[in-house]
Amino acid sequence: MTSFLQILVLGILTGGVYALLASGLTLVFGVMRVINIAHGAFILTGAFLAYTLWRWSGLDPLLLTVVVAAVMFGVGWLVYLVALRPVRTAPITTTVLLTFGVALLLEGLMGVVWGNTSHSIRPSYADESFTLAGLYIPEVQVYGGLLALAVLAALYLIMQRTWLGRAIRASSVNEPGARLVGVSVSSVAAMTFALGVAGAGMGGSIMGMLYPFLPGSHYQWIARLLAIVVLGGLGSLPGAVVGALLIGVAEVMASSYIGPEWTTAVPFLVIFIVLLVRPQGLMGTRLREDVAPA
Amino acid sequence: MRLSPYTVAIGVVAAVITFFPALTDNLYYQNMVILSLVFAISAAGLNVITGYTGYISLGQGAFLGIGAYVCAILSQHVDVSPFVWVPLAGVVAAAVAMLLGLVTFRSRGPSFVIITIAFLFLVQFVATNWTSLTNGSAGITMPLPDWDPALGNWPFHLALVVLLALSLVMSWWIRRTKFGMGLIAIREDEDKAGTIGVNAPVYKLLAFGASALFVGMAGAVYGYYLTFVDPIGMFTILVSVQIVLSLILGGRGTLFGPVLGAFIIEPVNAVANNEFGGGNVRLLLFGALLVLLVLLLPRGILPTVAGLPARRRTRGTAGLTGARLEIAERPPPPAAPAPSGKVLLEVKGLAKSFGGLRAVDGCSFTVPEGSITGLIGPNGSGKTTVFNLIGGSMEGDGGEIWLDGRRIDRLPPWSRAHLGLGRTFQTTRLFNEMTALENVVAPLRDFSFGQLRLDGVSGAEAAKAQELLDFVGMGAYRDHPAGQLSYGQQKLVELAQILVLDPRLILLDEPAGGINPTLIERMGSLIRELNADGKTFLLVEHNMPFVLGLCDPIRVLAQGRCLAEGTPQEIQRDPRVVEAYLGDDYLLESTNGGR
Repeated sequence: MTSFLQILVLGILTGGVYALLASGLTLVFGVMRVINIAHGAFILTGAFLAYTLWRWSGLDPLLLTVVVAAVMFGVGWLVYLVALRPVRTAPITTTVLLTFGVALLLEGLMGVVWGNTSHSIRPSYADESFTLAGLYIPEVQVYGGLLALAVLAALYLIMQRTWLGRAIRASSVNEPGARLVGVSVSSVAAMTFALGVAGAGMGGSIMGMLYPFLPGSHYQWIARLLAIVVLGGLGSLPGAVVGALLIGVAEVMASSYIGPEWTTAVPFLVIFIVLLVRPQGLMGTRLREDVAPA
Repeated sequence: MRLSPYTVAIGVVAAVITFFPALTDNLYYQNMVILSLVFAISAAGLNVITGYTGYISLGQGAFLGIGAYVCAILSQHVDVSPFVWVPLAGVVAAAVAMLLGLVTFRSRGPSFVIITIAFLFLVQFVATNWTSLTNGSAGITMPLPDWDPALGNWPFHLALVVLLALSLVMSWWIRRTKFGMGLIAIREDEDKAGTIGVNAPVYKLLAFGASALFVGMAGAVYGYYLTFVDPIGMFTILVSVQIVLSLILGGRGTLFGPVLGAFIIEPVNAVANNEFGGGNVRLLLFGALLVLLVLLLPRGILPTVAGLPARRRTRGTAGLTGARLEIAERPPPPAAPAPSGKVLLEVKGLAKSFGGLRAVDGCSFTVPEGSITGLIGPNGSGKTTVFNLIGGSMEGDGGEIWLDGRRIDRLPPWSRAHLGLGRTFQTTRLFNEMTALENVVAPLRDFSFGQLRLDGVSGAEAAKAQELLDFVGMGAYRDHPAGQLSYGQQKLVELAQILVLDPRLILLDEPAGGINPTLIERMGSLIRELNADGKTFLLVEHNMPFVLGLCDPIRVLAQGRCLAEGTPQEIQRDPRVVEAYLGDDYLLESTNGGR
């Protein structure tokens, strides 16, 4: 029983980080109908930036996540302007290939700058753990998970309470409608993309404290995050949180009860099953397909 | 016989590729051409589902790997030349591809792209972890070639040349048959394709099989050529990226585009690997190429080059939009036949909810055979939803639909089309990339496997289509892409399109909506003429003079139910209809309007 509880708590903390990582992917899809394959690469860029800042400054990596988020916000804005804006309304074929290209470029750049070796961010408390009621939880997991959940809560408030959040939600539900009521969908898309990349960077710097990483790990991340947003429903932020928690728990369980190599298979199986059984995901809405696009 | 320069050029290139090992002993260049052939075959296969059918896959490399593994595993156990297993490798790859194709029954667009990525990783996972079969991440070493070393790479090279030739013949054949035409209809608008009788699932399954058949075979040869097969090398996503790049660069949907692309990308890749150490340089190269291609040359080389002369030719001339529609004088339609009294379509207790909204809520009505039945009602009363339910674009939550004594509410759209149901859409949905004539030829009145191999446009069909286009007054536009026609012109072509189905019941969604008065009149007389010819109509329309002058009987929908029915006179006098739809001022207006 204790071990089950331990797995559950670990799974939820991991899931919190996954949720932050997935938030940008699902928001960008919601507003732009773009599957940002480069999202995993942005996460790793964030992790490598945090690594360099941490080595250089010696500050607590948890503090540095804010700096990384700010830098990555700028990176996201730039990538949107240069690469995505020209094809924002293009069909999915185009944007998927484009973001795939961006992912490969980022992977190559990271390889040139940081090398293709495994890195990890290890603060002084990296090997410490909390023991509570027989549970044994690594400190970094707790701090990372809580920070991620706090950022997500802030993001949720932005979405619910601010004009920007309403504009993002409006654009994602009905783009022509949003435009008619004065939302500049292109600026909202830029803002969403930059926010999504900032979230990826911040989540990435937390991820870097939990797992070793190298430039090529972005495939594994994008696969996992796609599973999460597909499970939660493409475009839904609460869906992504639920999906992330479920996948986090499922992975820890698969690893403990079946075997560690099965962790990698969980996302792919989830993608197949969800898209076949319930393509709209847990909290997504089925897109109406009978009306021709305007 | 005179050969065009194009044919001669292709012949020369084909000869150079075929006999390449005779031209140089340099193994570096021989290797480059062999790999280019492998990618050309893979890209030609991908072209069938991406170029023709419109499903983009980032997992095409998996079929290469599956083919290689089939060959490697069998060669381990049976002591014959691995070449023996090449056809089987293709069949296994095709079978797996068809399984992947099953997925497209439920997911399209974004979901499908995600699935293909997951598919590739899943196959890699299986290859890594099913150690007893695949020897895991250590991989399988294949026997060295058993032929005279003097032959060198010839057997590999020629095998791949033959496979490429076969893929191209298949690709060419698909493009010119009913099969290919159906695939393009699916690419342009899959739901619409269903309503004109295209049995999309079968078409897609076959397309997926075809897209992997020769790729699996090429994979077997490729694995044998490398003499080593492992999960990382075979299922890396970079192979899939290179295949997609080749296809996009050369031009998707074209016959030779994939080959051209592959023979450009692979040498560039080889240079990146050998001169610049591969690895990161290769990633940067592929990444930059993808981004630049998508932004600067999205259609690829061949379509762009082919488009140049047309652009030069049409520069400075007026567009189609200014052209006037010639309306031929036609004899007045004969009197409508006496209604048979038989019910052709019956809808009973139909229901459909969207979330909490009951768009259609226990709707029942009939359409008598030989009638022009009007379906009117305020916006949001559920008219278009009823059409979608009858046509099969949407599945209802309850109720029954009977067409001529046969229950059809569980049938897929194409079966309903085969039973004699034709529909147009509120916003026209033609296949924009096809010409008007191809649009009219595209519908299929039945389904059989034999049909797939028939010519896309046979002489008889072209003549019939021409006749129908002439009938609606669009004959002069037969060779114009449908997307360039004006809205009203598209409406007429869409009418001609469903007439090919020879439907018994024609559903028209706002035939008079958004077109000019002359065309409205023309539309009305076309409908009368077709009706006199025995066609039954059910039409949704807001233009009251049009409906009242044309339709009898009329059904009035309000809040998802049939509120009233009767002749135009009865409907106009019905107080419930006046309240729910026509409005108090309606009678006044119509008297003033002089009708």
